Amino acid sequence: MTRFTRLLASVAASAFVIATPLAAETIDVAIIGEADTFDPMISTKDVVSIVTQHFVETLYTFDDSWSVVPLLAADMPAISEDGLTYVIALREGVSFHDGSGMDSADVAASLTRWLEVASRGKSVAEKVSSIEATGPYEITLTLNEAYAPLISLLAFSNSAAVVYPEEILPETSNGELEQVIGTGPYMLKAHEVDQYTQLVRFDGYTQPTGASARQQRPDEIRFIPVPDTNTRVEGLLSGQFAYADSLSTEAFDRIEASDIAQPVLLEPFGWPMFAINHKKGLMTDLKIRQAVQAALPFDDMLFAAFGNDKFFQTDGALYPEGWAWHTEAGTGAYNQNDQQKAAALLKEAGYDGTALRILTSRQYEFHYQMAEVARMALEMAGFTVEMDVVDWATLAQNRDNPDLWDIYITHSPFLPEPALISSLFASAREGWDNPEKNAILERFTSESDPDARRAIFAQLQQITLEDVGLIKVGNFNALQGKATGLEGVHPSPWPAFWNAHLARPAQ
Amino acid sequence: MRRYLIKRLIGMIVVIFLVLSIAFVLVRLAPGDPASLMLGPDATPGEVQDLRVRLGLDRSIIVQYATFLGNALRGDLGTSLFFDQPVTQVLAARAEPSIFLALMSLAVALLIAAPIGIWAAYRRGSLGDQMSVSTAMLAASVPSFLTGLIFQRVLATDLGWFPVSGYGGPGAGFWDRMGYLILPAITLGITNSALILRFTRASMLDILGEDYVRTARAKGMSEARVVLRHALKNAGIPIITVIGLTFALLVSGAVVTERVFNLPGMGNLVVNAVLRRDYPVIQGTLIVVAALYVLVNLVTDLLYLVVDKRVKY
Repeated sequence: MTRFTRLLASVAASAFVIATPLAAETIDVAIIGEADTFDPMISTKDVVSIVTQHFVETLYTFDDSWSVVPLLAADMPAISEDGLTYVIALREGVSFHDGSGMDSADVAASLTRWLEVASRGKSVAEKVSSIEATGPYEITLTLNEAYAPLISLLAFSNSAAVVYPEEILPETSNGELEQVIGTGPYMLKAHEVDQYTQLVRFDGYTQPTGASARQQRPDEIRFIPVPDTNTRVEGLLSGQFAYADSLSTEAFDRIEASDIAQPVLLEPFGWPMFAINHKKGLMTDLKIRQAVQAALPFDDMLFAAFGNDKFFQTDGALYPEGWAWHTEAGTGAYNQNDQQKAAALLKEAGYDGTALRILTSRQYEFHYQMAEVARMALEMAGFTVEMDVVDWATLAQNRDNPDLWDIYITHSPFLPEPALISSLFASAREGWDNPEKNAILERFTSESDPDARRAIFAQLQQITLEDVGLIKVGNFNALQGKATGLEGVHPSPWPAFWNAHLARPAQ
Repeated sequence: MRRYLIKRLIGMIVVIFLVLSIAFVLVRLAPGDPASLMLGPDATPGEVQDLRVRLGLDRSIIVQYATFLGNALRGDLGTSLFFDQPVTQVLAARAEPSIFLALMSLAVALLIAAPIGIWAAYRRGSLGDQMSVSTAMLAASVPSFLTGLIFQRVLATDLGWFPVSGYGGPGAGFWDRMGYLILPAITLGITNSALILRFTRASMLDILGEDYVRTARAKGMSEARVVLRHALKNAGIPIITVIGLTFALLVSGAVVTERVFNLPGMGNLVVNAVLRRDYPVIQGTLIVVAALYVLVNLVTDLLYLVVDKRVKY
């Protein structure tokens, strides 16, 4: 056979692959980019969480209703009455992928590293006075002040408190893991940069007692970085991918009409936000902040950004209906769309025409589209607006310099615990350091009773809107897609595939 | 000839040094910080600074340049900030798809352009000539991303004749991987055929009007022999030049096509490296591309010797 005929045969073979695309036990998942690390302790990127949650595990996790449940822990912690001591029993018989058994020494060493290197760990480090292995399968965390969100922090897959064998941990906090060894239901088999990350079933996996079973249905899960959204859509519709993350909402109708794939709508997924510079510049003046809030037409901004009300909700509450944290406190200040009131507030503030600098990027087109509508409304109210449209790398750098912006645009999924919203803290780059808010936040993080916490959160939302600590634009839905017949994947910002199963191959 | 080659090699070194230095400065003039991007949205400024120190980005630009230059002279282009792998290794992994995509798309372009270019010149002024020139203009005018998207949707998604994207999964053999290049190669080949077609036609037109072509005809040679043996051979130099440059452009510049088809080639690598501010990878890619251009130019000039015996260096 000549090379040319072999090439033609290869084309025919490729065509066949497309016609019968998915081997029954392999799940190909198109994700938006490469996970640049497999150590989720040191990254807050969602794409890192999506991949790594399959092979490294935390003590706790969230169930489908975002309640905390044990994963590597045997049970929920025994918390002392003063909220300062957490005794955590560990599951026995848990194996790492290298065959060694997990015990309290591994957990204590991993949590110590988490406090040193992880963003979320560092945020709580000064409240933790000790982590001790108080038995072969028991650790005790002692705090110097009560901190109710601790268990949620330990459960989160992003900047995650994952457990590694003590032996592989670097000796210094600056050190990096040479290889990632976890306890998860899948093991890392191969990684070709910008091509795929191949995970295979871990036969030594033992099922959690609290979290839902990881059934390990596929033999293999492959995460394929596909940065172009159109390519993810075409790959899904051709049957090349069993699941595709983060698709353009414009593709919804086409996917819905397809026999090969189905849309998966995360409703609602998250919230776009105008982050406010409280450290320097115009927005340190409350009247100016209130003027911005009064002028913005949130419904128009959302429509411009998402095009169809199937994909957004005009909602000023920090958590949407259906969430335990939902409250309408303070939402009267939302969506005023009143440029005259804004103009009056500007006059009261003695606004001198200094440009309001909006830092945004077209990395997420909806950020830019919202900014454009906001600019028009703000100019109608009398603001001079300067749009600073840069690539994401520049935005990520410039937002750390308070001299360069007044508002920058970002978004977040709805996080299971409000204390994970970093913008609420004075230590965040936005620097919202309102003493009254700080006191409410302090009470919120130290209160352990769920009902009392909900009541305090209502106060926190109220002051967020009144003091314009940040500007929530609304709720938006995210579109993912799955092959027809794919079961066992719960829609989530961080979808997991250990229970995924193709009931029948895509056509 | 030897002196000529030595002069060209010295010239190559100078060009690569200049590219290396300009690349080093330019990537650092661009705003954006790799450490911020690597740590994600919730990293604090302190964490970003710690990582900058660890990556050596806190050192003065002079120190960074001296280190970079010293290492480059030893063939060490540094370590990718993003992947923590040697840049040479990252580039080597990208060479296969880029080189084979370039070769295949060049083959497609030549298959389209050469016969039509020759025929159009031979039938100068005919309806066929005008149509071929117009079609070439149209092919050159449609951006490759649009052609790629249309082909991807129709030929891959709807008809299922080709894979939509990628370069084969784990364990894919060489010929499997080549299968993933066919649709991108057709896309690129069509776009690039226009330039080669126009050069072929123009060169052939010049040659077909020469006295020796008339003489060959007067001697009773067949038209095929006159056109393919006498005219085409002498029209070769400009055609080889444009083919050489197109090849270099295809290896280094198939950015959009690689993006659309999600091919892990040099074009995709450099786009991702710019977005990630992966300085060593950007620099390394630019050096390789510069070297490739200089090398292709040299090979093209040497090919003139083969095509035209009158050429002497």
